Amino acid sequence: MKNSERRISRFILAAIVGGFLMLLAVGVSFLVVLRQTQVSAEWVAHTQEVAASLAELGAAIERSETARRGYLLSADERFANAFEQLAGEIETRMDAVDARITDNSDQQKRLAELRQLVATHLAYARDTLQNRRRARDDATAKMTFDRDDVDVIRRARAAAAEMLKAEEALLVERRARQFRNVQLSYVVLALSGLVFVALAAGTIWATRRNVHALATAGARLQLLNEDLESAVAERTTELQRANDEIQRFAYIVSHDLRSPLVNVMGFTSELEVATKPLTELIEKAREEAPDLVTEEVRLTIEEDLPEAIGFIRSSTQKMDRLINAILHLSRAGRRVLSPEKLDMNALVAGIADTLQHRLQELDAEIRIEPIPTLVTDRLAIEQIISNLVENSVKYLKPGRPGLIKVRGRQHSGRIIIEVEDNGRGIDPRDHERIFDLFRRSGSQDQPGEGIGLAHVRALAYRLGGTIECDSTLDEGATFRLSMPPELQKA
Amino acid sequence: MSSHQPVTIIMIEDDEGHARLIEKNIRRAGVNNPVLHFVEGTAAVEFLFNSPEGPTHNGPALVLLDLNLPDMSGTDILKRMKEETSPLRRTPVVVLTTTDDKMEIERCYDLGANVYITKPVEYESFAQAIRQLGLFISVIQVPEPEIEA
Repeated sequence: MKNSERRISRFILAAIVGGFLMLLAVGVSFLVVLRQTQVSAEWVAHTQEVAASLAELGAAIERSETARRGYLLSADERFANAFEQLAGEIETRMDAVDARITDNSDQQKRLAELRQLVATHLAYARDTLQNRRRARDDATAKMTFDRDDVDVIRRARAAAAEMLKAEEALLVERRARQFRNVQLSYVVLALSGLVFVALAAGTIWATRRNVHALATAGARLQLLNEDLESAVAERTTELQRANDEIQRFAYIVSHDLRSPLVNVMGFTSELEVATKPLTELIEKAREEAPDLVTEEVRLTIEEDLPEAIGFIRSSTQKMDRLINAILHLSRAGRRVLSPEKLDMNALVAGIADTLQHRLQELDAEIRIEPIPTLVTDRLAIEQIISNLVENSVKYLKPGRPGLIKVRGRQHSGRIIIEVEDNGRGIDPRDHERIFDLFRRSGSQDQPGEGIGLAHVRALAYRLGGTIECDSTLDEGATFRLSMPPELQKA
Repeated sequence: MSSHQPVTIIMIEDDEGHARLIEKNIRRAGVNNPVLHFVEGTAAVEFLFNSPEGPTHNGPALVLLDLNLPDMSGTDILKRMKEETSPLRRTPVVVLTTTDDKMEIERCYDLGANVYITKPVEYESFAQAIRQLGLFISVIQVPEPEIEA
């Protein structure tokens, strides 16, 4: 991914997380505002309760006054009892108001004043009741209301009214606060709605963007895949052509090289034949005219000439073997493969049988473990395995009883065939080299041209397989052949 | 061998050394017939079909043919000689070449080659093969050509 792409994804992630955090904050503040609204509503209710208690207090005072007047007029003790009862009620009412205004010192001050006035008034009223009881039969008894009492009552009423007014003012103020809180909660609600909508829009945009990017990437990937396939097909054709070219080249070269070789070998032989009369001549000359035969002439004819001819001959013979090897390889490369189902156990057992004689001579043993069935070209796989087994037999370590194991297994869709020996091993430096044509490893004490493994590798490649070597010097070698279970017909 | 005229051995071989070795060994087998050597296909074809001394117009012949020639393929010469209408269709052709490719051998016999011999690289075998060929030449009968007017 490009740097800018990464930055954008990071930004989107941050924005979404931020959005959710904002939503959370808005939700919390909404709860706070709601709680405040509830509190102010409680306060409003409280104010109304205070006002109601004040009204009840006023009513009780009025009723006590009515009872007093009744007694003053009729001197009926029932009025006096009612008065006392109501006086008690007034006390209770005032306590109730007191209990409700503990939070408000102004109102408490006013209530204290009211209490005092009411107490004065009640004391006065009781005096008047006492006077009336004493003068039950005295018609002249003083029945008029005292001016002072009227003043007390007026002041008490004023105090009560003032309290009520204060409560009303509080009510107005608290209602206003409640209203503000409700408004605030609406604002917060609207805000959270806005945040939610923005968040939803952002998330949808980001998702759509991702989906679009995914689709684009998918399409590009498919295009690349198709490109790759055609590129592979093209490359395969090219390689096939190059391979065919090499095969043809190898064939022509090896073929054309043989022609001059026939001459070299032929005339070398002719030369050898020609030295025979020369040698005879020298012998004869030595007998008949020894002065003519110098040591130099004798050495030239009897030693230098045969030596030169010998080297020419052995070198050309080697060259012939090498050319034949190339020819053989190129011919194997051109052979048409015919895949068939092969019982590898039987095939390997057959190879082991052909080597039985040599194995007895060398005190060696071949152990064959089960090998999975393969569908491939019989001749090619036979050549591969017999080459490997023959190599194992050839390069056993003298003095150690030879043990050669051939085994097979299935591994991730391939058939692995291993030929393991406890022979002299191969230097790790040579593990790649030994598969090259004419290259050999270790001491050259065994006959061979360095062709076998090159042939094995060429055949393995043709069958769609690979071959590798795993070995430690002096401890033995394992050749691992990895084959497709089924050879595809070309 | 024909009693009237000695059979001419026409050797079409681009390699001078091979030609020399072949001739030497044929002679060693006791064959004394004249040997004519051509290094090029064109000259050989000209002689075979058109020369007044050539086999078409004069005397029986046996052809030793190499397949790898610089100017044409030996199989082309073989094909021309063995065609239905060719005056040389009965002339024996011995293909003597380095190729031992199975396909090539089959092709030559299909075209009408009488004998196919691969030149062994090993000189002992080579000399022996040519000497045996010489012995073979000394005993086979070669038809007289249908001399055209």
